[in-house]
Amino acid sequence: MSESIDRQLAIDVKGVTRVFPGRVTALAGLDLNVRYGEMVAITGPSGCGKSTLLNILAAIDSPTSGSVIVAGHDLAHIHDLSGYRRHEVGLVFQLHNLLPQLSTLSNVELPMFGCGWSAHQRRTRALELLAEVDLSGCEQRLPTELSGGERQRVAIARALANEPKILLADEPTGSLDSASTARFLDLLKRLESGGMTIVMVTHAPDVAANAQRVIEMRDGTVVNESVAK
Amino acid sequence: MSFFLLITRNVWSKKARSIGLTFAVAFAVLTVVTLGVTSSGLEQSAAAIISVGKADFTVVQKDVSDTLASTIDTQQLAGLRHTPGVTSAVGVLVEIEHINADNPVFIEIGISPGDFAGFGVRVVAGSAYAPTAAHEVMLGWRAAANLGLHVGSRFDANGTWNTVTGIYSTGNAFGDAGAMFPLPAIQGYNRVPGIVTLAFVKVAPGTSVAAVTRRVAFAQPVLTTIRTAAQFGRADRDLIYLQAAVTGSTVLAILIGAVIVGNTMLLSLFERTHEFGLMRAVGWTRRRMVALLLGESLLLALMGAALGVALSFAVAAGLAHLPALKGVLHPNFTEDVFWRALYTALGMTLIGALYPTIRAALLSPLKALSYE
Repeated sequence: MSESIDRQLAIDVKGVTRVFPGRVTALAGLDLNVRYGEMVAITGPSGCGKSTLLNILAAIDSPTSGSVIVAGHDLAHIHDLSGYRRHEVGLVFQLHNLLPQLSTLSNVELPMFGCGWSAHQRRTRALELLAEVDLSGCEQRLPTELSGGERQRVAIARALANEPKILLADEPTGSLDSASTARFLDLLKRLESGGMTIVMVTHAPDVAANAQRVIEMRDGTVVNESVAK
Repeated sequence: MSFFLLITRNVWSKKARSIGLTFAVAFAVLTVVTLGVTSSGLEQSAAAIISVGKADFTVVQKDVSDTLASTIDTQQLAGLRHTPGVTSAVGVLVEIEHINADNPVFIEIGISPGDFAGFGVRVVAGSAYAPTAAHEVMLGWRAAANLGLHVGSRFDANGTWNTVTGIYSTGNAFGDAGAMFPLPAIQGYNRVPGIVTLAFVKVAPGTSVAAVTRRVAFAQPVLTTIRTAAQFGRADRDLIYLQAAVTGSTVLAILIGAVIVGNTMLLSLFERTHEFGLMRAVGWTRRRMVALLLGESLLLALMGAALGVALSFAVAAGLAHLPALKGVLHPNFTEDVFWRALYTALGMTLIGALYPTIRAALLSPLKALSYE
């Protein structure tokens, strides 16, 4: 498999299908390439397979067939998927998924457990990340004490905790108001300009317009690609 | 944040569940520890009888339900005295009498005054009773103090009045809290002439005690020898049954506790499925998930053990003051009891947490994240 890996591509998906029990086809022979440093938006109607694709890229789901290579790793041949999730990709969910019993700081530290870092190193890194997403001063607040936009920025900080090469965001602005959405997109652009590869699933055309490339999906496959800017 | 702090925060954040589990563990520990200290106390009280005499070993009838039901006749006692290596064998009749509410278990020893020296009895006030006197008694110094009696007082026991001729000391708290009667008198009260309960044996200097006990066992197979409190069960079947009951109750407490812990942890698994899915999605390994959940269980076990031991102090003290157990039960909090508390708490918690922990570790991140 390794001879077919294109080292220029952050993501190289070939002929991926995903059929759920009950013969529900979410992905039907999908092909997708994303270059390092590129920001890609994936759009399409509900049920077209956008989130399924993202879950497969995040290695929390696996394809029925096809090849998925992310950051040079063929996911079908990775034994330590936890290590892949921890170091290669950062995942941002629509509903932030912060643990309510933990402070903002502790939520950001969560992916760093098991990376061989000391508690002090984890704390220092989490403080840096919170500063990066403009949340300095909110370290000890619980998620319930933050606004929706702030929670989503904490989720980004958490996704960046282990310096992943690729950020995967599933409807990250779906629950945000327009002001929070604008602030969130600014943050993504900052990350993009820093060289981060970003794949974002979104329904909203104005959000997708912030990406370098917009990929439209329908019925489990790519139907259109356009350069947004 | 350290891993330990994460564990404590998780435990603290689910207060109702954590408190419930802590109490479940604590009640199991309470049961086990209270049974342990009470049985150990009863064992100690019972075994104290054999340590009253200053002997190398004690001889009793084998396999009696209660040591005080042991009977050794004159012929057997003579046989003991003639066993090679034996220098003296003091036969005593021991009985327990309810004197009053404060002394429900009062020890009375029938012994000839000629055996006082061999038995380690020292008269500290007054004088010894006559060997065949019918209404004379000596009180241990603790008993005299407890009962407020002194030389010349009258002491009601065995259904008759007895004159206190002297106060004695044996150096043994149990013996000093009782009374001594002329052997024929107490045998008469109990209608067992020529019978003693125990024989306290001394061996000749330089002689192997073990060798002498083997000779006794060979010559008199209906008798058994006891050198330590741990050997007390040879003679007292009640004690063996008690120890078996304690072991059985401990196992039962652990199993019941494990079911409660397992059930609660399983409910907690459903409640926290989304959280576990998130942890797996951000790169937590299964091993780390297991460490987290077992760490939480361990913390709850330790809290439950501490609470259970604290409660058992109060319960054991309360039991010792019950009229039926007053003077009999002396709760004995040994190091062994605390270890047993810890094993119980850890055992039930780890057994109970095992299945939910494995299930949590094997959760598919995607399914767990989709779980409502």
